[in-house]
Amino acid sequence: MASRTEPSKAAIGIAPTHAIGAERRDGRMTWFKGGLFFALLAIVAVCIPLFGSAYSIQLATDTLGFVILAYGWNLISGYTGYISFGQVSFFGIGAYATTILVQHSLVPWYVAVFIGGVAAAILAAILGPILLRLRGILFALGMLGLARILTVIFSDWDYVGGAAGTMLPAQLTPDIVYTLMVLTAVAAFAATFYFERSGFGLDAMSVREDEDAATALGVPTNRIKVTVFVVSAVFPAIVGGLTAWNRSYIDPASAFDPTLDLQTIVFVLFGGIGTAWGPFIGSVVLMAIAEIFLVHLPAIKLALYGAVVIGTVLLFPGGLVSFANRLGLLKRKPVLAPADLPHSSAPAAPEIQTPGEEKPVLEARNLTVRFGGLIALDDVSFQLHRGETLCIIGANGAGKTTLFNAVTGSVPASEGDILFHGRSITRLAVEQRVRLGVARTFQIPRLLLDLTVWENVLLATRHGRQSHRAVEHTAWVIRTVGLDSVWLDPASRLSPGRQRELELARVLAMQPDLVLLDEVMAGMTKEEQETVRHIMRRLPEFGVHGVVCVEHVIAAVADLSDRMLVLDFGRKIAHGLPDGVLQDPAVVRAYLGEVQ
Amino acid sequence: MVALQILVNGVLLGGTYVLMAQSLNLIFGVMKVVNLAHGSFIVMAGLFTFWAATHLGLNPLLSIPIVFIAGLVIGGILQPLIIEPLMGQGRRAELLSLMVTFGLDYVLVQIALQIFGSDYVSLPFMQTTWHLGSLTFSKALVVAGLFAALITALLYAGLNHTFIGKSLLAAAQSTTGALSCGINVRRIRLMAFALGVGLASAAGALLIIVLPMSAESADNLTILAFVIVALGGLGEYKGVIVAALLLGVSQSVVGYFFGGDIENVLPFVLLIAIMLFRPQGLQRPA
Repeated sequence: MASRTEPSKAAIGIAPTHAIGAERRDGRMTWFKGGLFFALLAIVAVCIPLFGSAYSIQLATDTLGFVILAYGWNLISGYTGYISFGQVSFFGIGAYATTILVQHSLVPWYVAVFIGGVAAAILAAILGPILLRLRGILFALGMLGLARILTVIFSDWDYVGGAAGTMLPAQLTPDIVYTLMVLTAVAAFAATFYFERSGFGLDAMSVREDEDAATALGVPTNRIKVTVFVVSAVFPAIVGGLTAWNRSYIDPASAFDPTLDLQTIVFVLFGGIGTAWGPFIGSVVLMAIAEIFLVHLPAIKLALYGAVVIGTVLLFPGGLVSFANRLGLLKRKPVLAPADLPHSSAPAAPEIQTPGEEKPVLEARNLTVRFGGLIALDDVSFQLHRGETLCIIGANGAGKTTLFNAVTGSVPASEGDILFHGRSITRLAVEQRVRLGVARTFQIPRLLLDLTVWENVLLATRHGRQSHRAVEHTAWVIRTVGLDSVWLDPASRLSPGRQRELELARVLAMQPDLVLLDEVMAGMTKEEQETVRHIMRRLPEFGVHGVVCVEHVIAAVADLSDRMLVLDFGRKIAHGLPDGVLQDPAVVRAYLGEVQ
Repeated sequence: MVALQILVNGVLLGGTYVLMAQSLNLIFGVMKVVNLAHGSFIVMAGLFTFWAATHLGLNPLLSIPIVFIAGLVIGGILQPLIIEPLMGQGRRAELLSLMVTFGLDYVLVQIALQIFGSDYVSLPFMQTTWHLGSLTFSKALVVAGLFAALITALLYAGLNHTFIGKSLLAAAQSTTGALSCGINVRRIRLMAFALGVGLASAAGALLIIVLPMSAESADNLTILAFVIVALGGLGEYKGVIVAALLLGVSQSVVGYFFGGDIENVLPFVLLIAIMLFRPQGLQRPA
């Protein structure tokens, strides 16, 4: 851990000045190149209908359809991390909604397409809360199942022609369909581009990185993922509606064709999953390759696509965009990050009153936690007054972590009561306690590893604050904790000691009333411990009114604690001032064994 | 009597599901990988069995060892190439392996389509019935169910009474724990995947005599197997047997009252129902 031997303050302002100048220049170049690129794309997009053949217009339309499908899938699966194998469900819903409206109403077809998008959004809003409740595999397969269920429903529904399908009035409007595809693709790109730079996008990415940690930071993960799911359903539905109109024929097998999902996923993976440019680049490049080499070999095409999925995941999981990133192109800009870390001032320091004037910040009354027959915590009571630091010590298995978990809510109390500012929080869920101001660190830091230090802290400050206030506060926290020399580095690149500091910074950024520190100093070097001790002394500046810490390194916290509580086999064996507690014979016995 | 007959048919059908679900579960248990190409191994083995029976006159029961060994070999080749490199990526391995097997599924299904065509086939084998009182028992179902039970029993015996089997179970419980006992977890994962694919292939050879299939039924079979495993509890080996029988009976009941379409969709409906009500499977209490 030699990497963190320099004192944290000395690091301030050395690296960034030079780096930021370079970044500004890079930024200008990127904008210039970006503008040139967009201009070229626009010219190509305009030339296709003007000079292209009917065939090339159709090919461009199909490609754009996949581009849009790819952007839709990328939102829910790339950014939010919920892999869907059934986005084609929404394609089909859009196609059928458009078909039904065109056949049975006087609504113009492009309005019908729009209504199809709304229908898919409604379906996603209903199904989202159910399907997104479970993670990983179940969601992926649930979506696959949804597509199959819809296939059967529409195959048995005579109103839309059953399995044989139904015709739409033949209309030759390839130019208009093409134009609408272009506009939708631009909208999908713009939405993604804006999304990945917005706080909302940051929330979504935090769900992908570590949903539990995100919840602990106050991110309303359920609302976020359902919202992204709804948006990601609208795009395929619009493509579905346009495609139904374009082909003037629709049947369940093509409306809910699972190979559409395969192709969408291949394109996104190949281009770069979770990036703004990946879906576009992947779709265009692979469609072009398929058009040149595989046009007469549809079966081999699908098998090759399958192989491309495997190869991409194994060999270059970042896709084509990751190669561009290595050249400094198409990089994601950290969310809401200013060009330079602002020197913002501390938030108004909350006045600290003398202990005992009001209700304790935290109080445990006869707290008991049982796991089956095992009593992990036995009738423990204590009070933590405003401005105090209480340190809980005890041997392994003494019940320290259980006490922590009971206070934060991740383990239910079997008996007894937990009061926060005099109000019982015993029955509240973890996130409700977080919102009240109970925050904790984890023994093993649960950082959002692919996100930058800046974004990790910003996530914690964002909720309940206006955006510019959040930015200022984030900057202040990063400077105060001493992470300013690495503020734009991904969390994964920090040393273990710095990762702990970041974890601490994130918790403090929420300005909790009460902080629970779970062995923050375990495995740290002396210097790193000193940094953390420095932060602990400054906790009141962060608005913290009470600290409970669990620590093995007793020497490192003895002088910082106002009182100590010693647990042994779930029971409180001592409680009081540090000096007295550490000399208590019962404590010495519990720690060192019987004196012979 | 009709009710009893439906029940009997359901139990027999469920019996044939046990093996295909158990093999999926074996791979999941050891590697936490849901093999989305599971169904494509089943249909490949089934279609091969059909081809061998119609072209070479090979008894489908004799195909079982052939496809089992072929599955072992193919699984043994694929695992180190495409699954093992993803292991050790923690939480991400689960989703990455889902993508990789999703891709593999397409590769295999397209290969099966090229070799065997896209027709739905079923192998006419032991088409008569046994009678017990007024109950009829399809011989094919009984034989397929018995063989599936036999192979599953062999699998259990192997898991519980051999060193390798116990190592598999140990690795399924905890990779770190198994490693610290000196078990070569890498090799265990290789064996689990190979065995899983081999058993899926054996299941395919049995299923073709009771269930019409085509290359494109692969995904439906994957889902069917997954629903059974999810009902039984992911990684639970005993719950899966109960779940397979339960699914067989419910399909039989639903098929009798609502017809084949609904019967085929039942697994998907159950999948979503499981998500809603019992995400932890049937075994563990809510």
